[in-house]
Amino acid sequence: MRTKKNPITRAALYLFVFVVCVIILYPYFVMFTTAAKSNDEMYAIGGSLLPSVWNWSVFVEIWQDAPVFQYLMNSLIVAGGATLLAILCGIPAAYALSRMRFKGKGIFMGAVIMSQMFSPVVLLVGIYRLMTNMGLTNSLLGLVLLNAAFNQAFAIWLLRGTFTSISSEMEQAAKIDGCGTVQALIRVLLPVAAPGIVTTLIFVFINAWNEYTIALTLISSDTLKPITVGINVFYGFNFIKWQHLFATSIFATIPVIILFLCIEKHLVSGLTSGGVKG
Amino acid sequence: MKKILAMLLALAMMLSLFACGSGGTPSDGDSKTSTAPTETKQPDQQQGGGDKTAINVIISQYGNYTQEWWTQFEKDFEAANDTVDLNIEIVSWNDIYSVVSTRIQSKQQPDILNISGFADYVNDDLLMKAEDYTSEEVQKKIIPSFWESNAIDGTVWALPILASCRSLFCNMDLLNEAGVTEAPKTWDDVLTACQAVKDKFGDSIVPWGLDISTDEGQAAFSYYSWNFGGGFVDANGDWALNSAENVQAVEYIKKLIDSGYCNSAPYTDTRYPLQDAFSAGTLAMMIGPMNMVKADSTVNYQSSSIPGKGIGLGVCDQLMVFKNDAAPDQDARTAAIKAFFDFFYDCERYSDYMVYEGFLPATLDSSDYLASNAEKHKVGGSDATGDSEYFKTFCAQLPDCQFYPMQKSEWMDVRNGVISAEQNVCQGSISAQDALDNLQNEIAG
Amino acid sequence: MKESTKLRTNPEQKAEPSTPNRNQAAPPKNHASLKRRVEPYIWLLPSIVMMGVLILIPIITVFQTSFSEISKAGVFKGFNGVDNYLWIFKQAAFRTTLKNTVVWTVVVVGLSTIIGIVLGLVLNEKFHGRKIVRAIVVFPWATALIIQSVVWKYIINADYGALNNLLYNLGIIKSYVNWTATPQAFFAWECFVGILVTVPFVTFCVLSGLQSIDTSLYEAADVDGASFWDRLFRVTLPLLMPSLTVSTVLNIIYVFNSFPIVWTISKGDPADQTHTLVTYLYKLSFTNQRVGEAAAVSVVGFVILAFCASIYMVMTLRAEKEE
Repeated sequence: MRTKKNPITRAALYLFVFVVCVIILYPYFVMFTTAAKSNDEMYAIGGSLLPSVWNWSVFVEIWQDAPVFQYLMNSLIVAGGATLLAILCGIPAAYALSRMRFKGKGIFMGAVIMSQMFSPVVLLVGIYRLMTNMGLTNSLLGLVLLNAAFNQAFAIWLLRGTFTSISSEMEQAAKIDGCGTVQALIRVLLPVAAPGIVTTLIFVFINAWNEYTIALTLISSDTLKPITVGINVFYGFNFIKWQHLFATSIFATIPVIILFLCIEKHLVSGLTSGGVKG
Repeated sequence: MKKILAMLLALAMMLSLFACGSGGTPSDGDSKTSTAPTETKQPDQQQGGGDKTAINVIISQYGNYTQEWWTQFEKDFEAANDTVDLNIEIVSWNDIYSVVSTRIQSKQQPDILNISGFADYVNDDLLMKAEDYTSEEVQKKIIPSFWESNAIDGTVWALPILASCRSLFCNMDLLNEAGVTEAPKTWDDVLTACQAVKDKFGDSIVPWGLDISTDEGQAAFSYYSWNFGGGFVDANGDWALNSAENVQAVEYIKKLIDSGYCNSAPYTDTRYPLQDAFSAGTLAMMIGPMNMVKADSTVNYQSSSIPGKGIGLGVCDQLMVFKNDAAPDQDARTAAIKAFFDFFYDCERYSDYMVYEGFLPATLDSSDYLASNAEKHKVGGSDATGDSEYFKTFCAQLPDCQFYPMQKSEWMDVRNGVISAEQNVCQGSISAQDALDNLQNEIAG
Repeated sequence: MKESTKLRTNPEQKAEPSTPNRNQAAPPKNHASLKRRVEPYIWLLPSIVMMGVLILIPIITVFQTSFSEISKAGVFKGFNGVDNYLWIFKQAAFRTTLKNTVVWTVVVVGLSTIIGIVLGLVLNEKFHGRKIVRAIVVFPWATALIIQSVVWKYIINADYGALNNLLYNLGIIKSYVNWTATPQAFFAWECFVGILVTVPFVTFCVLSGLQSIDTSLYEAADVDGASFWDRLFRVTLPLLMPSLTVSTVLNIIYVFNSFPIVWTISKGDPADQTHTLVTYLYKLSFTNQRVGEAAAVSVVGFVILAFCASIYMVMTLRAEKEE
């Protein structure tokens, strides 16, 4: 949507963006400054905004106090694996739902959405029992499968929305040129659907990265904990190590931001190449 | 042709799914202790291929370094008992009830559990009797009152893992500056002191720390009701939740809040940030456990008995052993569990853990030992050593403490009931008398 | 006016499924039509297997549990019909919770959708620093919910919280404000955090939806002399509808079932005034050890969601048929 820019709209636009950014960044400012504050300063009433002495050592200590790196790697494996699996299974399903006509389509769509109507918190006991039977408690693979399953509905719905909004004429043309359905899907549809796929990808990845309750219940070895659960180590019985908690949280956010920055290009390139020819 | 390709694609995806499903089996062999991967995955079935007896233990997280101590313990224990495969899992207090409940519902309970409260498990006949898995030596070590506190109708079902006791902490510098020369001894003194602090410092100091949250609101109920002369049970041990003293106590809590003496959100503030605020010198008084002040705190504080009757709250978490009918060799299992307790309660090792976490020992020999040898052991996560004086002082206070009536089967309902009553009364939605009458009817009526 | 009707018909053409063409193109051979009938299900199979095993089985467990008596320790004691349901409907806290859940879902989804649309439209404009702003918008989403919740709990604390500290240092307030004086205030803050973490998702759904809008439509509208609002309401929003409906439905479910924010910030306190269904049932299940009753609460929540979703399904299916 291009607007003719007069100075007032322009200023309003910048102001709006600025306010949103400030609100979003504020908690990170708090995390960062609090992590570097001493305990006395953190609980001071009417104290200064910034730490009087920046205690940088906390950003080093967390790596020694707990296997934070291991936690991050576990999270990466779980989120990456779940994303891959969810997208791989989601694309054919979404394709069938948007391009084919068959009996039970409505029922399937309904069932997919129904499957999301129980929060994982509710399903914990059932999940634990199931995973015990499959021998997948305390394993990253179990988490990958569960996260993929719980994000499957989101993936299918988002991808189907994208596919549906894209005309099938180009695939038809490709098929006339001798492409198979699968080839047409991969060569023609997927590139055009890139922005939607990227959105789905980010969505699933972030959901899996942030998942807490299932991992908490299933994982019992310290070395297999993802970061969301591992961070509990700073949340002890007698003390909460706020500084450590916040410092670790900042590090836990960075990988996702990096992933986003890498992927955002495709979102933009989808924009330029996105001549979704009607 | 195209259709076949499509099917191939779908097939490939399914295969990849199943390949993950089976191919992953070895991958979780990297969980830390596994000599036999199948055992780590289905820890409670204990069949495994090897002759080792697997024992699964859940330990609550008492401090930031609990995990480290138990990792070392696991290594040492396995070195000393090569027929046992010990798996120790540390779970934070935030989550332990949900984790354990989930396991029990899935019939995957651990062998040994460290938690607070055991009556519900006894009701369902899930636990083994303590005498079946403790050697005589261990039984003799445990402080008799603690041993008996875990008994229902004369049968002991759990062992005390550690103890703590709660008393009143005052920041003496702040109180002195506000013109209060000594720690309050009566509940009226408390009000006077709070007002003095408020007058002197205004908004910059919180006079009184209060936690009536879901997290531990029952502790507040104990502090006030016991020291107003009431309590959970009467002299016969029957529930007496709506006694006049209890009503008075809850009304007093409301008064503290309404007078503006407390932290702003007593309904959601847990004890931990309050303790940190006390350590930072912005909270003048609160009731808390003996190890609540941070080691590096510069606050000049004094700990004294809780105002009123001077009854402290003793907290004594338990270790308990679950039955496991599926275990292939019950004798080997029991022997392994016995070995675990012998190893854990060994005077030096147990004392080391007490210093490490800053709690009080529940055994006689460690109490004696720590009264003069605490300096030989390290505090978790630091190079500081224990302080014998600390153990001497607080171990002596333990006999004056009262404990929650955890052996009664309605305990968890009472616990949640008093928290709800406190919150409702302090919100002003119901009078203290009505709230406690309702609770009493619900529990005993 | 002519122009605008043309604009409106265009997307529908695009969204039209192509299946009829293909059916005509393929000669109705017998084994071919069998394949055609089976083919879609093969495409669906991986999803069906995965969800069927990993989600359906636990769901069945929940239904079973809701009709069972489960002891405090978690042992199954037999079926007890609808006792659990009768019990929960007698609880005053349950009624408050239902009300809260509706408010929570409507407010969080509604406001975050509006803010998300505006933000998405703005971020689709070219301006200096757009890339940075896009990255910043992802932040609340990229941080685990549980961490966001812990930080905000600390920020709004009235005694030593960061917000009071900030406003005090900026000279905006003279003395500390109790931001959470009433349960309602608490709940409002929870909604605020809910909105904050939901906006990025909507924004990116809008952004990706905007990419697939044909720019020639705007050119046509420009030629037609359409105003800013014309373009917004006649071109952009109608064309965004498909991606918006999807994101809204997913959001409703997601927000309805959201757990960490409310649990971390207030645990439903004071006096069970700030629960949503999920935190309420979590407390029932794991603090109060009423597992059967908690399962009943989750079935009730499911019924409510399923009811809303089926209304939506009926509406979309009807719309698709009209096409």
